[in-house]
Amino acid sequence: MKLRYLVKKELIEVVRQKELLFLMFAGPVIQIIILGYVVSSDIRRVPVAIVNLSRGQVAERVSERVRRSPLFAVRFESRQGADTLELLKKGRAKAVIVFRDARGHGGAARAYPEVQVLMDGIDSNTAMVAAGYFNGIIKGYILDDLARRGRGLPLADRPLFRFNPQLRSINYMGPGIVGFLLTIITMFLTSASLVREKEQQTLDTLLMSPLASLEIYLGKALPAALVGLVDMVIGLLVVVLWFGIPFRGSLFYLLVAALVYLAAILSYALLISVLSTTTQQSMFFAWFSLMLFLLMSGFFTPVANIPQPLRLLADINPLRYLIQIIREIFLKGNGIAYFWKDLLALAGIAASLVSVSLLNFKRFISR
Amino acid sequence: MTGATPAIAVRGLRKDFGSFSAVRGISFDVAPGEIVGFLGPNGAGKTTTIKMITGLLRITSGTVAVNGLDNRRELPRVKRMLGYMSQKFSLYPLLSALENIEFFGGISGLAPRELRAAMARMEQQVAGAILRQKIQDVPPGIRQKVALFVCLLPDPAIILLDEPTSGVDPEARRAFWSEIYGLKTQGKTLLVSTHNLDEAEYCDRILIIHDGELVAAGAPDELLRQKRQASIEALFQDAIREHGQD
Repeated sequence: MKLRYLVKKELIEVVRQKELLFLMFAGPVIQIIILGYVVSSDIRRVPVAIVNLSRGQVAERVSERVRRSPLFAVRFESRQGADTLELLKKGRAKAVIVFRDARGHGGAARAYPEVQVLMDGIDSNTAMVAAGYFNGIIKGYILDDLARRGRGLPLADRPLFRFNPQLRSINYMGPGIVGFLLTIITMFLTSASLVREKEQQTLDTLLMSPLASLEIYLGKALPAALVGLVDMVIGLLVVVLWFGIPFRGSLFYLLVAALVYLAAILSYALLISVLSTTTQQSMFFAWFSLMLFLLMSGFFTPVANIPQPLRLLADINPLRYLIQIIREIFLKGNGIAYFWKDLLALAGIAASLVSVSLLNFKRFISR
Repeated sequence: MTGATPAIAVRGLRKDFGSFSAVRGISFDVAPGEIVGFLGPNGAGKTTTIKMITGLLRITSGTVAVNGLDNRRELPRVKRMLGYMSQKFSLYPLLSALENIEFFGGISGLAPRELRAAMARMEQQVAGAILRQKIQDVPPGIRQKVALFVCLLPDPAIILLDEPTSGVDPEARRAFWSEIYGLKTQGKTLLVSTHNLDEAEYCDRILIIHDGELVAAGAPDELLRQKRQASIEALFQDAIREHGQD
């Protein structure tokens, strides 16, 4: 029961810091909304230039489709030759579409013009996606044209997108942001907690008390876990209500995954706190870890894209498994049968981190 | 000193931090019911010694026995006998005095009824409004009073006070020493570290430490007589000079 005094004290210290309180509970709402709009791989209004040197109607019809597409913003058009490289260099366009009349062997004009798409490849992701959109527009025109003539392709794909039919990137990012939030709050709150006790010299008095080391450890971890869970619920509400991302799975499984994850991340944060000698040190350590966790988590790009030598870091990254599980539960509505391996891996990492952290904590308090 | 088991028995106590020796094999006893002043300049090794007695700092070599119990083998039992007030009073700055009392009393195992009684006792001594302010906003004298009160909550037999009067005004210091005397009359044993030499007059015995070594030990009057010095200040300077010549 002595533990409850420690938990109460920790919570009072949080509540008494009004700025911190705001950052902890209003911050996540602001962060999710901003991240939800900013961290998006959707391509919209890509600036393009059209250089139409074809005298046929097809080039004009395809150009019209480009003009009407919300994916592109036509910034420059010319019916004469233009320095296409200069257009890209000056940044007036990210892509230049050039139409020329195509000729057959005998010099006769072909039904379709030649189309060349020049892309600014610096932003490789936008370039790849935009190139795909152009292909889609051209392919769509050809299919419509063939259909008008009563012909069609002998084989055509008809993709059906499950779980995220509108292919909104926020649906992919949103659940990940919830996992990320759980990490930020708990990491920063806990990694500074023991260091602060060291700095204000209250740790000695704490260690002189009859509290067992496990009680002190839990007294630091439990309030942070509680705050983290409250933040997670706030995050879920924003993601579901503000962004309209459907939650299809079980809240119970989500809670189980979050609790296992909290055991891992809080142990890691307490390890930082034990190893740091100043609050500043602990903050830098936490920030560095946070960036590493995020980059290796599959939050922005799939884990499969991470090169093999660095994959080990991703494999031992607890955030990677949490984000994977949250996406499974959130978007697919999957039960534990579909993500038990991820949960097991997360539990293994949590068990290792708890052991290392607790061992270091015990060693620290018996200096 | 009598043949009774010392409240604190320190033998050959040493603490090394890498190649630096903070405490260099010191030995002394504190008898039950005594007030012993632990005098020395900043960095002399007072806090390190006290922390080794409490078990907060690992001993490099030597032994500490508290009421006959080795503090390394019987640390949990030793801790129950000790009250410790560290430098800076070690209270939670964002908690009020009453919340600090409730917290420290609670983790010390006091029942809710005992906690309420303790808080009521404190309210008899200091105005309730001050006790409900964040402790960081109250005067140092009150913080010191609360820190001592908190230290005494588990009713320890032996009390270790590390620089308890630093940063407080002379009036608060006098009031504090008066409380210390009150504790002595209750049979408590006190080891009080300080760098305020004039506080030696309040002590039954003093230990002077310099550069991690004990350079003088005894009753203040006796030491003054032995060393033919007129004041503790002169005695202190003489002891340090002699130690430097050695």
